[in-house]
Amino acid sequence: MDKRSMVLLKALLVSTSRMNVFKHTKDKKKKNKIVAAYVGLFFLYAMVMAYSVLMCIGYGAMGMIDSAPAMCALVISSLAFVFTVFKTNGYLFNFKEYDMLMSLPFESSTIAGCKFLYMYINSLPWYMSVSVAMLIGYGIFAHPSVLIYLYWIVLSLFIPLIPMLAASFIGFIIARISSGFKKNNLIHTIITFAFIIFSFSLRYIIEGLFRDGRAEQTLENMSGAVEKASGVYLPMGWFSDAVTKGSIVCGLLLIVVSSALFIILFHIVGRSYRNINSALKSHAARGTYKMTTQKKRSLVTAIAYKEFRRMIGSTTYITNAAVGDVLAVILGVATLIIGFDKLIAVVTQNAPVDSAILQPAIPLIVYFMVGMMATTACSPSLEGKNYWIVQSLPIEKKTLYQGKMLFNMCLSVPVMAFTTLCLCISARVPLINTVLYLILGTALCAFSTAWGCVCGIKHMRLDWENEVEVIKQGPGVAWYMLPNMFVVMILVVLVVFLGLRIDHKILALVFMAIAAVLALLSYRRVLALAKK
Amino acid sequence: MLEIKNYSKSYDGGKKAADNVTLTVESGDIYGFIGHNGAGKSTTIRAVVGVLDFTEGEIFIDGHSVKDEPMECKKVTAYIPDNPDLYENLTGIQYLNFVSDVFDISAQEREEKIKKYADLFEITDALGDLISSYSHGMKQKVAIISALIHDPKLLVLDEPFVGLDPKATFTLKEIMHEMCNRGTAIFFSTHVLDVAEKLCNKVAIIKKGKIIASGTMEELTEGQSLEEAFLEADNG
Repeated sequence: MDKRSMVLLKALLVSTSRMNVFKHTKDKKKKNKIVAAYVGLFFLYAMVMAYSVLMCIGYGAMGMIDSAPAMCALVISSLAFVFTVFKTNGYLFNFKEYDMLMSLPFESSTIAGCKFLYMYINSLPWYMSVSVAMLIGYGIFAHPSVLIYLYWIVLSLFIPLIPMLAASFIGFIIARISSGFKKNNLIHTIITFAFIIFSFSLRYIIEGLFRDGRAEQTLENMSGAVEKASGVYLPMGWFSDAVTKGSIVCGLLLIVVSSALFIILFHIVGRSYRNINSALKSHAARGTYKMTTQKKRSLVTAIAYKEFRRMIGSTTYITNAAVGDVLAVILGVATLIIGFDKLIAVVTQNAPVDSAILQPAIPLIVYFMVGMMATTACSPSLEGKNYWIVQSLPIEKKTLYQGKMLFNMCLSVPVMAFTTLCLCISARVPLINTVLYLILGTALCAFSTAWGCVCGIKHMRLDWENEVEVIKQGPGVAWYMLPNMFVVMILVVLVVFLGLRIDHKILALVFMAIAAVLALLSYRRVLALAKK
Repeated sequence: MLEIKNYSKSYDGGKKAADNVTLTVESGDIYGFIGHNGAGKSTTIRAVVGVLDFTEGEIFIDGHSVKDEPMECKKVTAYIPDNPDLYENLTGIQYLNFVSDVFDISAQEREEKIKKYADLFEITDALGDLISSYSHGMKQKVAIISALIHDPKLLVLDEPFVGLDPKATFTLKEIMHEMCNRGTAIFFSTHVLDVAEKLCNKVAIIKKGKIIASGTMEELTEGQSLEEAFLEADNG
């Protein structure tokens, strides 16, 4: 890295660092908020670490501790890939300060490379939380030498690079293709969604290939799957061999290949960087509007409509906010086509699971996807510099948040209803149970909406540089998403277990009551926060 | 210093935002670029400073092609956009140091320049505060200082007077004169015709992406005011 690159990277890091704001702001309230955000973030890192240690202890208890390094590499690689795919548009391309940076004497490849390294450094605490935690678990069972500890930590720094580069390259290809279209934003969104869906289904495609006899062994268990993945994705194997066998060659391979790919990729990206960004950032005004009859909307509906326009205007926002909804719709359609039983067989890799016992979990399975992200968790922060518009208008905060919540309900409830109906029809769920599941689903959506709004307001941040900071990395979203996903996963298991003993209708009614109470409490909290 | 030759920029759908624009800004010129909103001023300016890609025509800065040798061009150019997107979570002084580092300006020189211009724009006291706490005018002042600290050969400004207080406007005009006397070429867009008339020695009028009139102030106005000349060219 040359001096200019270091200058740019430092500026990117400092300019988005809350520590810098803490140091220079005189606003005590702001300082407190920053401290709270850091505490919250450390709590989330601790959660990830606890989960990783437990996973490793599970491996050790089952006598499979040798698979832990490969598993660590797999988890970090998957996280790095998913984190980056959602961020390329907004960080690597189409970012706010593009004009300012491009007018300064930086090579295009320097800007792109620094933006990538910025993404990497920002996500590193997540990856290292997994790595350190799994190292602790590995250390307890494998008793490696001190050198291996060091080796593990150093190589962990390189594990995320290749998946991040792969995701960036895909982002680059998507940006390159969409920049050639008139409606490049729409095309960008569609291709990104298509890619995300492809990525999610890739696991099943690969497994299908194995089952079709194209690979000699089938995936018998988790350890076998990880071993298999190490063979397909070489860096995983390099890391595993480096730390379990102390292989210097494998360690060097990981470092050299990651660094070489970085240099090659940003040389390629740099060549068409200006061209892509010019196309993505420039839009000609058509100037063909003819005055037509205008419609009057209620205030709450007008705000909800504004939220809708905000979402469809941003590829980053829509791909993050609607990914769960799109997956839910696909699940619904797929269930209708291939049948509930077969779908369960695919998901559980033909495990001997009676699909009937999963019926009471249908609303929670649907909610896992539909409620994966609530727009309300980031929409208060997304007002950003435009906050003055709603602040200067005669709109009560309560009404503003109600509009935001209405939009999330409009987005999630129809998708939830469609997917629940598809699953219930396919699984031949009795009509009365189907109705109860639909009501439970609605109550869960209401909870998701209101709880998301609580998180969004409590962790509201308007001084962001890039919308990815609040959509993807915002504490509001993290506080909403992570606990929500973990709790739903536990609830799915719980409801299946209880469903064996309690009538499904009673179970649905109990969950409905709990969800409704939680939704109501969250809504009241939103109203209370709106008064502050 | 700046030579724009047959530059055209088409957006998707074939609409031309700039159509065969040709003009030359010599060292020591203060060149005004005037036109309606959406006439193509910013599109041209963004291409000049290497932000916007273009396919037709050529732009040269100090003899270097913006397309083929962007780094050489950027090293001698400074750009102040109409709505500067500065890093809001940096302090004013952190931002100015960032730009100084980019241009490799020595500690002593940057200290002198920052002090000189910050004092002139009366913003020295605020340099330790976060840019997010600045008003639009203060941000504009920081952007101007950042453009001046490396002594550019070409200064490109997009609506530089918007948001500046009267004293800062006067200061900027004085600085522009001083730079022009030192041989710097200045190319700027504006809607304020009075300012352009008093400040510029050359002017170009752009309408729907095409240059409809250009030349020295005397050639263009022919004894009229610039406002009258602009309206005449615009209606004709």
